[in-house]
Amino acid sequence: MRLHLGGHLNWYDAEKRARFEIDLRAPTTLRALLHQVGVPPAEIAIAAINGALVEIESARVSNSDRVDLYPPVGGGI
Amino acid sequence: MSYGTTGKILRVDLTHQTTRVETFDENFYRLYPGGKALAGYFLLRELAPHTDPFSPDNLLVIANGLLTGAPFSTATRFTVAARSPLTLAYGESEAGGFWGPELKMAGYEALLITGCAEQPVYLWIHNDHVEIRDARAYWGKEPLDVQNAIRETHGDKLVRVLQIGIGGENRVRFASLTNDLRHFNGRNGMGAVFGSKNLKAIAVRGNTKYLDLAHDPKPIAELGRALAKKVKEHPQAWDLQDKGTPGLVGALNAAGILPTRNFRQGAFENVDKVKWEAYEKEILSARRSCYACAVRCKREVSVNDRYQVSSEYGGPEYETVDGFGPNCGIDDLQAIAKANELCNRFTLDTISCSSVVSFAMECFEHGLITLQDTGGIELRFGNADGMVNMVERIARREGIGALLAEGTRRAAEKIGGAAPTFAMQVKGQELPMHEPRGKVGVGLGYAISETGADHLTAAHDPMFANPESVGFKSASPLGIESIPARELSPRKARNYAILENWNSMEKVTGLCFFGPAPRSFIQVEEVVTAVRAATGWEMTVEELQRIGERATNLARAFNIREGFSRADDTLPARLFQPLEAGALQGVAMPRAEFEQTLTDVYAHKGWDPVTAAPTRARLRELEIEWVADLIEK
Repeated sequence: MRLHLGGHLNWYDAEKRARFEIDLRAPTTLRALLHQVGVPPAEIAIAAINGALVEIESARVSNSDRVDLYPPVGGGI
Repeated sequence: MSYGTTGKILRVDLTHQTTRVETFDENFYRLYPGGKALAGYFLLRELAPHTDPFSPDNLLVIANGLLTGAPFSTATRFTVAARSPLTLAYGESEAGGFWGPELKMAGYEALLITGCAEQPVYLWIHNDHVEIRDARAYWGKEPLDVQNAIRETHGDKLVRVLQIGIGGENRVRFASLTNDLRHFNGRNGMGAVFGSKNLKAIAVRGNTKYLDLAHDPKPIAELGRALAKKVKEHPQAWDLQDKGTPGLVGALNAAGILPTRNFRQGAFENVDKVKWEAYEKEILSARRSCYACAVRCKREVSVNDRYQVSSEYGGPEYETVDGFGPNCGIDDLQAIAKANELCNRFTLDTISCSSVVSFAMECFEHGLITLQDTGGIELRFGNADGMVNMVERIARREGIGALLAEGTRRAAEKIGGAAPTFAMQVKGQELPMHEPRGKVGVGLGYAISETGADHLTAAHDPMFANPESVGFKSASPLGIESIPARELSPRKARNYAILENWNSMEKVTGLCFFGPAPRSFIQVEEVVTAVRAATGWEMTVEELQRIGERATNLARAFNIREGFSRADDTLPARLFQPLEAGALQGVAMPRAEFEQTLTDVYAHKGWDPVTAAPTRARLRELEIEWVADLIEK
């Protein structure tokens, strides 16, 4: 599956990658995926699977999916 | 003896070509310790009500924050204030960069400038040496050339120059000021006030060391070192360094709150062409910083293709990318970069300028502006060349540019018909690129802000939706609650009042919005420590909040005296209608709940719910009861 860590979420990836692929052997929950990549669920304001917004608590992910995650966004100057 | 300040204010009378230094004592400084607070004090005390903003009598206050120039990240900002030609209200704008710290090193907390020079002049400040100099040769010239010439004249490449381009000279009502070519007091038309006084620039050089003024320099130096290290270890601060504000585009689009086509929609179909990945790949040339700041959120861009864009004038911030991009229906990053460069060369506020262009596009699409008006330009949403052309015409006040240079509200009144419903402004100032239908607290800030629509009045709601998030936890010492972003309620009103005081404190102390919690990495207690170390004062979070609240009340009192009331604390009608596209399609700002929450905010602030004026009781609590005497007259 393809994962996109938007905003500051790629800070949590050791290599600071914003986009990368993960080989999922079996479908899993979004929460388990977050645990695997080390992104705290509290930092996620928006999660989308294949472009559709989902709830972190109930969403499931399979290997053919594209997952976009974004943090809560503050202001800009 | 006062610490953390020289206690000196420089008065300049441009009409009589005189300058004079005054001093203030510690009791005064404790109540008005910089920036927004000094601005509010002097504008209330010394500017007669209803003064024409372009009259020589308008008072220009330029004031450093209490911590401006302290050698730690984000302590860079200074305030420029006057009666605003855009809003006719309290006018104020902050900028970072290098100029404020240099003024501090030259030994001044503030400049008070009145009058009008007969010919263009610039002010030269070198420690105790102050001189009003001939600037006729610089009038009409671009900031880069003027900066180079002034530095050459004084034989010093470290002279810091605050100046206007032709937008300010031509009194475009949203003209900005630039320092070091890349840092801007963008909002409220302070550049036009410079222009009206024939004041081209203020050049500064100083040799005082901030730490020599501080009560206890050690904690400040330690904070500087700690923050330089911490920037890589904090997700939000690191993100500002890595992507800068343009990194917001993708996230806001996904959330359905990316202003698109004059706030009709909340998402843009071609967002991939303007978001951060494209910016980094196609136009980014460097990352830049302000004085002593490890965050380094500034971008620099360079384009040598369909448009030629010089790297000298920095790069577009988020506001500018969205303003000249999706909010004008434009997906061409090169055109956005060009519009940004032109605004910076001409000193036009990119938020107001992009908004007035977007407004004109909507008028054109509805037949309220014709090809004859635009000089043959099909000024529809998406016309990148037309957009760039409009920026130049506005700066030069050519053709329809003369009308748009008056700002959206005045242009809409002149055009008539449905045009006022397309004018996305509050109190005459154009909306920044944040969508109140998804961030209702930002909407409250737009409505309440004394300077007209402003996105730095209070922190943005999504940061407080999750009690476990980094942003919420860092701001929790302020006493806020975790509340969903779109909730309008008594507890949202309470959060808003707390966060507005905190943001106002930043404008008094000279800290950037991208320094303290919740937006970034300086903890609440570290701000307390820094102020205590600088001044030697006993300091608490509550006292910092009062410093912020006092400054806001001064600005509010200024507006009350000018005749503003609750009716001016409102939002454009469009925001009470549903968004047409994006994740929040169909969502509108609920009017009744919004009005009720506004009333609840006033209650927290101790303001009258009908007049929106500060009550005498609250002003007394804030130790500024003299203000009540002024506004009750």
